[in-house]
Amino acid sequence: MSQGDILQSMKEGSEKAQAVVAPATTLEEAIAYAVNLTVQEGGTTMAAPGMDDAARKALSAACGEKGITLLDSPLRAQMTKIHTAFTWADRGIADTGTLVLNSDSEEFRIATMLSETHVAVLPVDNIVPSMDALEGYMTEHFKKGPGYIAFVTGPSRTADIERILTIGVHGPKRLHILFLDGGEK
Amino acid sequence: MIHTPETEKEFKAQIKKSLEKDFMRKTLTNFSVAYRQSRSNAFANLDLEGMREDIACMKDAGIPNLTVLFDEFKKNAEAAGTIIHVAKDGDEANRIIAQIAKENGVKRIVKSKSMTAEETFLNDHLEKDGYEVVETDLGEWIIQMRHEGPSHMVMPAIHLSRYQVGELFSDVTAKKQDPEDIEGLVRVARKELRPTFIAADMGISGGNFAIADSGAIGLVTNEGNARLTTTLPRVHVALMGFDKLVPDVSAAMKILKILPRNATGQALTSYVTWIKGTNECAPGPEGKKIQHMIFLDNGRLALAKDPIFAEVLRCIRCGACANVCPIYRMVGGHTFGHVYIGAIGLILTTFFHGKEKARGIVKCCLNCQSCKGVCPSKIDLPFLIKNVYAKVQEEDGGKPLKTRLTSLLLKNRRLFHTTMKAAAKMQGPATDGPYVRHLPNFLMGDHNFRRLPAIADRSLRDDWKQVKPKVTNPTLKVALFGGCAGDFIYPEQGKAFAKLCEAYNVSVDYPMDQSCCGLPTMMMAQMDTAKDIAAQNVKAFTAGDYDYIVTLCASCGSHIKENFPKLLTKKGAVPADVKAMADKLIDFSSFMNDVVKVKSEDFMNLGRKVTYHYPCHLVRGLEVTEAPMALLEKAGVNYVESNESQVCCGFSGSFSVDFPMISKNMVAHKLDNAEATGATTLVTDCPGCVLQLRGGAEARGMNLTVKHMAEVLLEEKK
Repeated sequence: MSQGDILQSMKEGSEKAQAVVAPATTLEEAIAYAVNLTVQEGGTTMAAPGMDDAARKALSAACGEKGITLLDSPLRAQMTKIHTAFTWADRGIADTGTLVLNSDSEEFRIATMLSETHVAVLPVDNIVPSMDALEGYMTEHFKKGPGYIAFVTGPSRTADIERILTIGVHGPKRLHILFLDGGEK
Repeated sequence: MIHTPETEKEFKAQIKKSLEKDFMRKTLTNFSVAYRQSRSNAFANLDLEGMREDIACMKDAGIPNLTVLFDEFKKNAEAAGTIIHVAKDGDEANRIIAQIAKENGVKRIVKSKSMTAEETFLNDHLEKDGYEVVETDLGEWIIQMRHEGPSHMVMPAIHLSRYQVGELFSDVTAKKQDPEDIEGLVRVARKELRPTFIAADMGISGGNFAIADSGAIGLVTNEGNARLTTTLPRVHVALMGFDKLVPDVSAAMKILKILPRNATGQALTSYVTWIKGTNECAPGPEGKKIQHMIFLDNGRLALAKDPIFAEVLRCIRCGACANVCPIYRMVGGHTFGHVYIGAIGLILTTFFHGKEKARGIVKCCLNCQSCKGVCPSKIDLPFLIKNVYAKVQEEDGGKPLKTRLTSLLLKNRRLFHTTMKAAAKMQGPATDGPYVRHLPNFLMGDHNFRRLPAIADRSLRDDWKQVKPKVTNPTLKVALFGGCAGDFIYPEQGKAFAKLCEAYNVSVDYPMDQSCCGLPTMMMAQMDTAKDIAAQNVKAFTAGDYDYIVTLCASCGSHIKENFPKLLTKKGAVPADVKAMADKLIDFSSFMNDVVKVKSEDFMNLGRKVTYHYPCHLVRGLEVTEAPMALLEKAGVNYVESNESQVCCGFSGSFSVDFPMISKNMVAHKLDNAEATGATTLVTDCPGCVLQLRGGAEARGMNLTVKHMAEVLLEEKK
């Protein structure tokens, strides 16, 4: 499979699962996307666990400009306040449109589970054709000791009432995936 | 607490009540139809058969080694801080969990969906001990508040309408909720449960797989509640059966690739959560989670050693066997099962909850093979259901008189055939042309939805000398397996076959020592009689050196091909004569189309409008779908496909006598669909289906002729 095919498959799989896919050439562009989206949705807060200092600084500036509060750690004290979670995705699984999130950090879990909108930045080089390619990744991860990995395919959903597909039960109601092409991380 | 009938009488009364629930029936029927399509879309471009085979092999390799896998899991999980427990039964599991709650000063518990916790009635136990337990899966939350059990393994509240949920949620929120606004109803759950998650001290989950070589578990969910359940509270308890153990990530991924696709037609669920050990958790000791995992035995380890039933431990709990079951869709899960429902439930109930809870339901199987066809781990569900029925009868200490008499009669070929002959003579005054005029008393009432055929004056075997094709230098030498209906009720079908063979220069024998195939005895769970009869038939057909053994009865055919080898296996091997009979067995349509290779120019091409009913045992038993279509095309008829043409007609031999209220609805559904095509002839490949459909059409006074494919081909032949 060529990288073009993998990207196309990832995009189709994600969209089929009601995720929104958009390109980003730099992390700054991704930050701008997340901030604008939050504003559009009328959100006023953002959590961004797992971003390094430089990214956090850029994020803080972008949020400040639009009147959005970038929430500080610990998020456990602010669990009901998170509008947008802005995070990296560790891997992508193309054939199902799935994000693989290294969720060892509790901050990361709280942000990605309790937010209304999750914006995930996925470096395109980290997308694999199918989950078979991740056997080694998973096994290695769990060799280290305790660990928590999440496969996320689209936003939270249910069909428990009359089998009617409804988005956004207990997890994020919206999932945006930004394909980061530029080898940056 | 759920209530399950413990007698057949009470069970039948409950079936009648379930049949009155129009909303549920409509929902489950729509679901059944939609499911087939979404499943087939989900597996498009994938090697589904290969995937199923992989799961079956992987599971079969693990089942004899569950305790080895457990030891490995335990070692790895303990190294990561998890505390591992084993519970021998449900009560012990519940006690362990209550103890964990007590030791950790827990007050409030949140749960994500777990069938294993349903199996142990965990909530009842914890509530009795004074804990507040809240189910957080939307469907589970709904049924918890209604004090019901799940009516489906994957969709626990599928039996309820939006109006019922709307009313419930209006009560919960003390505010009128609009039932038409389903998104609004879902928002109620999000809003109401969020503070519950945040306040909880302990989260209980199940586990879809437990990976031995890493000590991690996997949870497959859509709503996101399992993630919150395993993240927010300071204590996490996972309850799983021993059968959830798999060797490694690769095995878990095999399950993951098939489970959501087969359950709901999704390529993957929204969330798959992989958890190992005591992860970060701020309110926990030293900022770490307290994690316990309980492995439940409750009969599983004994099952793993059972030569017949070990296979049920392959189950990955996808719920598909209910999705396609024609009985489930009519009566719903609260009637068709105990805690576990559908085909797998009919079996698991006996082992996990005892024969009292299984007695009513275990007889209620059409043997239509639908479940077997979609089972992702290739469990032979219908065969195991009959075996579990036998087990329940044995444990109840005796078989019903009717069963014993039938068994005795069918076991003795001469007695059976003499009885049929006598019955043909004696019924004279009670017949009305080809039908029985007055039904015997035990067949009145519920049973008058179809007219029953009279026994033929002369059976096929009586006339065989005249019927036998007169051929010289035949191209093929075959034997005909008549079957009871073909021999004694509809000899004209066998005669049509003989005439066709004569035209195509095929010699046909009718070995006189052949008898009933024995399927009816297996349906009554008389496994010993079924074995005896199978052996008699193998003997009857082994003498002649036939190229093929042809049958016009798909049910006899699939029983011979698939069940004879299973029934007659000796010391783990299938004897050569049994295998030869099974290998030579072929159904009528495949024989005419694939072996004789009839051609369009052989037929008159009159263009009459026909539709077709696929017999269960043809399409799923013998896996034949193309031959009948090819024959109808060659015969030049105007074929119109019926909706749900592959769904059971509801005959299934004694089933339709035991459960007429179900059989009646099924044949009505079939005939409605046939009528909608505007066809005047309904063709099929099984005398049992002919009996049901012709009898039903006659009772309704329909302008629809029901015929066996052999009769239609002969009529169309130049």
